[in-house]
Amino acid sequence: MSDAMGGILAGLKVLELTQAPSGAFCAKLLADQGADTIKLEAPGWGDQMRNEPPFIGGEPHPDRSTTFLALNTNKRGITLDLEQAAARSLLLRLAVTTDVVIESFAPGYVDHLGVGYDALRDVNPGVILVSITYFGQTGPYANYKGDDLIAQAMGGYLYAVTGPADKPPMGTALQQMELTAGRNGVIAVMAALMQRDRTAAGTHIDVSVMEAAIATPSMLIQNYGYLGRNVRRGAGDKFVMDGMHLPTRDGEVSLTTAGTGGRPMEVWAEFLGEPRLLDPKFATRQSRNDNWEALRDLVAPKLAQWTNLELMRETMARGLVIGLVQSPEQVANSPHLTERGYFVELDHREVGKLKYPGPGFFLDGANPMQALYAAPRLGEHNEEILCRELGLSTEELGRLRAARVV
Amino acid sequence: MSATLLEGVRVLTLEQVHALPWGTAFLADLGAQVIRIESVEHLQDRKAGPFPNGKPGPEWWNEGANLAYFGTRNKQSLCLDVTKPAGKDVFLKLVKHCDIVTDNFRPGTMRRLGFDHESLAQVNPRIITLSSTAYGHTGPWSRAGSRARTIDSVCGMSYLTGFEGGPSVRASNNYMDHSTGNNVAYALLLALYRRSRTGNGMRIDLSMQETGVSCIGPAILEAQRGITRPRLGCSHLWKAPHNVYPCAGSDRWIAIAVTNDVEWNALKQAMGTPAWAETALYDSGQSRWEHRHDLDAKLAEWTATQDDKTLLHSLQAHGVRAGAVLTAADLVSDPHLKQREFIQTIERAGGLRTYASRPFRIPGISMAIRHAADLGEHNEPVLRDVAGLSSEEIDALATDGIIAQRPRAEERAP
Repeated sequence: MSDAMGGILAGLKVLELTQAPSGAFCAKLLADQGADTIKLEAPGWGDQMRNEPPFIGGEPHPDRSTTFLALNTNKRGITLDLEQAAARSLLLRLAVTTDVVIESFAPGYVDHLGVGYDALRDVNPGVILVSITYFGQTGPYANYKGDDLIAQAMGGYLYAVTGPADKPPMGTALQQMELTAGRNGVIAVMAALMQRDRTAAGTHIDVSVMEAAIATPSMLIQNYGYLGRNVRRGAGDKFVMDGMHLPTRDGEVSLTTAGTGGRPMEVWAEFLGEPRLLDPKFATRQSRNDNWEALRDLVAPKLAQWTNLELMRETMARGLVIGLVQSPEQVANSPHLTERGYFVELDHREVGKLKYPGPGFFLDGANPMQALYAAPRLGEHNEEILCRELGLSTEELGRLRAARVV
Repeated sequence: MSATLLEGVRVLTLEQVHALPWGTAFLADLGAQVIRIESVEHLQDRKAGPFPNGKPGPEWWNEGANLAYFGTRNKQSLCLDVTKPAGKDVFLKLVKHCDIVTDNFRPGTMRRLGFDHESLAQVNPRIITLSSTAYGHTGPWSRAGSRARTIDSVCGMSYLTGFEGGPSVRASNNYMDHSTGNNVAYALLLALYRRSRTGNGMRIDLSMQETGVSCIGPAILEAQRGITRPRLGCSHLWKAPHNVYPCAGSDRWIAIAVTNDVEWNALKQAMGTPAWAETALYDSGQSRWEHRHDLDAKLAEWTATQDDKTLLHSLQAHGVRAGAVLTAADLVSDPHLKQREFIQTIERAGGLRTYASRPFRIPGISMAIRHAADLGEHNEPVLRDVAGLSSEEIDALATDGIIAQRPRAEERAP
């Protein structure tokens, strides 16, 4: 298990120059598996995510944004002002030994600067460039601007997925389209690395956040082709037994009919001690929807007698499937996740020790997430990377700093 | 373009429903031989449809739309009863010649079948196994089952989802199937990458809940320092205006996201600098955010009479982040997606059907849907070429009902 020490991607070098969560998350997923990942930011305020509230401690501070902290684990950070020629030549020097470059500028911008795919390939034929933008590198919307909400809208997700039928689109919390794009990005990176193992050639990958949004709800496009109608939000509004949030003594829960052997009402009537659930008007999925308010009024008071953890324990023992609606605090303190060793603690000079989510898979029983670095402070590794690794002298670095290149 | 990247990689997958099939489909796209083992006892994926015009045809088990999107997409189907001794025997013969075995049974089932990692590694020391479960193989909740939407709940995402000041709402139906499936593909590619360097197999314990928690990282950090993240619908923690606004027509909306003063000025210009917008209250981001409800109401008055797509293009031309709230019908005819060839059309179930492509492009690597396997379509080639069985042995398995190519006679259409 010698490779477990440094992670599967130990030895892989990644350079991230992104301005949005999608690329940052993509690079983080690689960094967490051991890739030596350098985040390159503009001098001054750096990545815009550093401005993103909330901040640990409350007050705005470029090293204390929770979004920035969460999406930049296990990276080292340098600053370079790519508008300046000296910075661009340093970037190309770094690229000589870099395996994967991830960028999220407007299409064509890195070419315009002279550090696009052709320039990178000239110095390193094996380099893999990943461009992650809201609308991709080509097509009439390529230069349109976006954010997560815009991607939800243009990707059909906003119309189709979250919230009740009789309200405006609700949207899903916490930049999920960006993250989905990042998760697709690492699959593409792994494929490109394997292709390079065979051919020695790199490639330029085009990832679109809008398309990641479209590819996410399960049946958006093919349902239209088979049924001739749009998938629309609110399909589960009346599903008392299958997804509605219902109060418990100390929180909320959603039920399912799974694990009931095709006899959901018999099984739940017995579990909850509510024989009126056996009324024929609740016998089928359709009739439960038709009578959902009456059903809810029977189920809710019974559930309200349970605490979340008791309910989980007892339903699990009977093979029933529920979903506790856990708050982030309950998740962070979850006995289950704690026992599994899911969270990884990282220490950061500005915010101290915090538990960070792991990748979601254990390899040979061990959590493979590296615990090398919390998110880098702006320019934290300038000297380490530019002087000790790239070979600049301290004087040269001083001159670059004075010229605001670094 | 051909999908030969993973040529020679063989995956045996005991999979149902959504998350794991979604994950193994990426490997199938990349050219791995993914053998999906199916059972006539459990045809729910083939019953799930959706079927043309909602009506299952005479061969309904091969017609569902989701089969081509992820179920048997670019995979092979081996309909084999692995619970019978003869089926088990065949399964272990296949394992000897495979690289990866995946399952999404609840923890313990593979061990009962004799297919746990340790047993399979005795047959094939280089084997990579991946088990995709709700809560993982260890810990007090390991025996609990899930649906994708219960993962939205239990990972914390649904708690954060809802309108401003309103109750929590289930975040999605299938989002966590997809996130988990993508994580499956990543983990398997990592394991293959490692094996090509070390020669070693691996046991992967992948959890849907944990994948879900990794989708809400910022909130997990905030919870440890007593910061509460409010539900905000389409609003934003600090950007304003940032919401959806009604447009002309029924259920038509435009999303607008103003990030800074420059974009606010661009929006004002796009609106023709109306008098209501020329107030100091809206001059700073902080103040716009504090007055976002009034601002939203005024902006909605302006958008309400306009065509969503026309507005989208004119706002973007002004440099404003804007997006029409598109429907599937909009997407299949969208000029941008058309030029990018994102909507794939294939002939299936008696008609031309539209599918979303993968959201990434790697030159020289096709990720297109090439085939969707019918039930048991690959029984014979897999048993002959991979397990090394003779025609007589294969015939005997068919006679004994260990393999099949159609549902049992008593099986009813969904």
